Formats: sequence, structure tokens, C-alpha cells
Amino acid sequence: MKNNLRLERAIKNITQAELANKIKVSRQTINSIEAGRYIPSTLLSLKIAKVFNKPVEDIFSLEKDD
Amino acid sequence: MKARFLFSHKCKKWGWIITMLTLALGIPFLFSRSNFEIPWLEMNVYHHQFLGPEGWAWSPVNLTGTLAGSGLIIGLSLIAFSRLKEEDEFTSRIRLESLQWAVYVNYALLLLAFLLIYDITFLNVLVYNLFTILLIFIIRFHWILYQQKRLLKNEK
Repeated sequence: MKNNLRLERAIKNITQAELANKIKVSRQTINSIEAGRYIPSTLLSLKIAKVFNKPVEDIFSLEKDD
Repeated sequence: MKARFLFSHKCKKWGWIITMLTLALGIPFLFSRSNFEIPWLEMNVYHHQFLGPEGWAWSPVNLTGTLAGSGLIIGLSLIAFSRLKEEDEFTSRIRLESLQWAVYVNYALLLLAFLLIYDITFLNVLVYNLFTILLIFIIRFHWILYQQKRLLKNEK
């Protein structure tokens, strides 16, 4: 799975810490998601998408070998 | 997955206190059971009889070992399973993976012990094995958390 989280954050100009605070997770979680080390749950993905006001598939998408 | 069945965060420091106190008491006891029993801890306890008539009865036992073992179990459990200050799904996953890892490593070591240690010395292995899963889990879990924090420092 790939994600545009870093890009979206840059567009909206918020730091990892601010995003983490908005959806009540730790900064490590956001960092791990962006680095591709952690795949968030559906709940968390929906919350993230809501912050950026976009559909989930605009931020997270499947890769060929998923 | 939400973290369930965890003690409150405040329990962690009590876990450390209990563990440290118990280790001060228990480490000499672990190595030489007969020499380090604290004499005034001898008392009458209702327990399953080893010598004498079958069944359960009141008779004197020394409680040094009991206190050492129970203290370590309670102390280590409190350290291992207290909530972090900030719990989320990521820490839940790290906790789960660390538990699995600890079980694997524990049994690998136990297997080695079966192959390399024999006779009465094996009794020591059995005693240590009571606590190694908790210990290995605590080390692994906190090591991963520390690694994650360090990765953050390299980022913005």
C-alpha cells in the first residue's frame, strides 16, 4: 500500500505532531504510516482522510503486489 | 485494536519498586536456596503436604521463596502490562508482536537448555524460566518503543 500522507500534510501545512494531535494518536504512529512501516486500521484511515477533507482512496492506495 | 486488559499507567512505577525490592531479596536466594532463607519468615501455612500424611494441612514453611517468586511475578507483570501514557493502535501492535517474539525467544532458549543442561542443574533453568517470558517481553517492547522514538528524532 502507498500513501500521499506527507504530500497532503505539506499541502495543508501541518506537522506530524499536529496531525497526530488532531486524531488522537502518537507522532510515532503518523511517522510510521508515512514511512510505510505501519498500515493504519480502517478507522484511523478514515479519520486521517477526514482531516484533509478527501476520500480515503486519495490518500491511501493499493499497490500491485498487495 | 484497542488496548484491553492493561493496568493503569501509575502501576508501572509500583511494578519497578516491587521488582527491585524483590530482587534485592530474591537474587541471593535464587543461587543458594538453603543458605539465604530468612529465618523469621517461617510460619504456619495451609498448603498441600509434601512429607507426612496426604492432602492439605497447616504446617510450618519458610516464606522467603514464596515472597521472592510472588513479588517478581507481580512486579514484572505490572511493569509489562501497564498502559503507556499514550496508547494507540500502533502501540497495541508493537505490544502484540513483542509478546509473540518473547514467547519464541523464551522457548528457543528453553530448547537449548534442554539440550545443554542436565541433572540437578536443570532445576535452575526451571526457576529462571518462570520469569523469562515477562522479562524478555519487557526488554523487547521497550527497545522497540525506544527505536521508534529515535526514528522520530531523525525526522522533523
